[in-house]
Amino acid sequence: MSDNYLVIGGEGFLGRWVVEMLLKRGEKNVSVFDIAQRYFDKEVTYYEGNLSNYNDIDDAIRKSNATSVIHTASPHYGGAPKELFWKVNVDGTKNVIDSCVANGVKKLVYTSSSSVIYDGINEIINADETTPYPEIPMDVYNETKAKGERLVIEANGTNGLLTCAVRPSSIFGPNDKQFLPAALNVMRQGQTKFQIGDNSNLIDWTYVENVAHAHLLASDKLFDGSPVAGEVFIITNDTPVPFWDLLRFVWAQFGHYPPYIIKFPKSAGFIIASLAELASYFTGKEPGFTRQRVRYSCNNRYFNIDKAKKLLGYEPIVDLEEGVKRACQSVK
Amino acid sequence: MSIASYLFQSIFHPSEITALIKHKFIKPKVTLKIRPEQKQKIRCYEFLDKTSRSFAAVIKELDEDVRDAICIFYLVLRGLDTIEDDMSIPNEKKEPLLRSFHEILSQKGWNFTGSGPHEKDRQLLVEFNIVIDEFLSLRKEFRDIIADIANEMGNGMADYVNNAMHNKYGVQTNKDFDKYCYYVAGLVGIGLTRLFAVSGLENPELEKDTELSIHMGLFLQKANIIRDYLEDLLDGRKFWPKEIWSNYVEDFSQLKESGYETKALNCLSAIILNALHHAPECLNYMNQLHNRSVFSFCAIPQVMAIATFALMFRNYDTFQKVVKIRRGEAIKLIQRCTNIHEVASIFREYNRIIISKNDPKDPNFMKISVACGKVINLFKYI
Repeated sequence: MSDNYLVIGGEGFLGRWVVEMLLKRGEKNVSVFDIAQRYFDKEVTYYEGNLSNYNDIDDAIRKSNATSVIHTASPHYGGAPKELFWKVNVDGTKNVIDSCVANGVKKLVYTSSSSVIYDGINEIINADETTPYPEIPMDVYNETKAKGERLVIEANGTNGLLTCAVRPSSIFGPNDKQFLPAALNVMRQGQTKFQIGDNSNLIDWTYVENVAHAHLLASDKLFDGSPVAGEVFIITNDTPVPFWDLLRFVWAQFGHYPPYIIKFPKSAGFIIASLAELASYFTGKEPGFTRQRVRYSCNNRYFNIDKAKKLLGYEPIVDLEEGVKRACQSVK
Repeated sequence: MSIASYLFQSIFHPSEITALIKHKFIKPKVTLKIRPEQKQKIRCYEFLDKTSRSFAAVIKELDEDVRDAICIFYLVLRGLDTIEDDMSIPNEKKEPLLRSFHEILSQKGWNFTGSGPHEKDRQLLVEFNIVIDEFLSLRKEFRDIIADIANEMGNGMADYVNNAMHNKYGVQTNKDFDKYCYYVAGLVGIGLTRLFAVSGLENPELEKDTELSIHMGLFLQKANIIRDYLEDLLDGRKFWPKEIWSNYVEDFSQLKESGYETKALNCLSAIILNALHHAPECLNYMNQLHNRSVFSFCAIPQVMAIATFALMFRNYDTFQKVVKIRRGEAIKLIQRCTNIHEVASIFREYNRIIISKNDPKDPNFMKISVACGKVINLFKYI
């Protein structure tokens, strides 16, 4: 029994990989909902609309006859005004749920983020799905992703709808708009020789195809009585590596090797960042270097994905090294 | 070397100086309780001291139940090894000896005077009747285990003696590498585990997962093989698998030659990476141990191995001489081998050293990073 898929955000970075994987495994009924079309496959029916407009998304769900909705849409991290995060991640997700329930959709898979349990201060060491949300969210992205996730999980069982959420950690891959451009920017600005911290902190990264793979597994495993229904799953490549190692490996793909390394202790990083933040307070510009970024590069942030392995049967299909090579190939 | 020179080596490592002084002056000397009339047993422990000082020290710290059995186990294996190693014994004579060594263990009065005059442990075989007497006085469960392992190891060695490919061209594939290490070290791991289990010092469950015991042996053996590159090469032996070194050089001996420094270092990373894959399983094995003396016995060689890997990693000296960790560092490590948390933290520290030396130009860079990440992450739960 095959499903009719509707991929919300299917023109975006992750959504596109979900669409491609569905097509690759021979799915005949794949539709996409997004605000702008970028890919023009014959096999895919495209619906254009605004997620915060109930009629738009309801129209797509009805017309596509969707039985499995995969909701990957979200504004880019840090790239949009605060209101937009609430509109898309919370109001938009509400609309998706309401329409799924109204139309008797069987399955809803939601793309959450592992950062819903990150408070921006404390380290994450082998955290699993039992870790609670932080009392004070780090930022509007994390806060609205968590809210959206909660709504989706709470909707499980309503009018027969089965739901689950996938929480990937630090997605990267070909055509990604966040990690790779940032890493290349450091290279272009000749800042690769600077290192904050002692590079002993481990970070979990996730190659985008593995995340898409986890979404397909999640959809496949949602059926009546399934232990997957109503659950969240952290997804990583399961190979945490030192923060600066991954960056250096990216730079190495472009033949760039830092000639020498200047190490700043974490504390010095904090002082510089505080000054930068202070300066930006007076100038009114966004600081390029913040304490949050210092923590981001000095803290451990890695997870235990046993739950996804056990319940979804998830294993990464592309390893970290191969993933970085493929990602870098796409921008060469 | 003298205590003064050990102290000098550690001049920039004050905590090691403390450790050295503690070891030299404060630590009580281990005295074995053996009755003076047990002359044969005393002689066995003398042999143990002569054949391996480092091993003798950890064996003597073991609880008495299992100590004698392990001492004899070690001497039996040393006897096998001495025959296998001896190039002056013709293969027609060597092979049947190796294959029947487990039966020889029950032949009262057996000894062997056919070793070459320069064989280091010649005397052990000359007086092997003593080892046999002590072997026969062990509990049957211990004897069966020792004979079992001697049987499998002797036959494995005999196969290698006859394997012209192996003797001429050395170890070929990574699979061969593991197989060779299995016969010379993995089996030791299995035997020791079974002895611990039978002695009652450890849970009998421990011997069920033989893979873990094998990892323990392979991790140590690979550290030795990598460290002894030059020495073995000069003796005409090649234990590094061709599957690894052929990615870097055409001839195994080029690794030590000038002009090949970068290739040699990258090759070294590749073989260390191969060995590092055993590290998580070694920690898992040690985590299952309950008895303190057994734990130290197992953990001490393991931490020495991880420290040696960290020292050799991207260190060109490995191809020029035998690199050794400082005596003070070793003593400090030994003193820390008391529980799994401490040992996991030692593993973590040395993996961080490897990470700090890792070079993005090395083709093994990311794989090393992932392997070290795995070790560092491990036992953060416990």
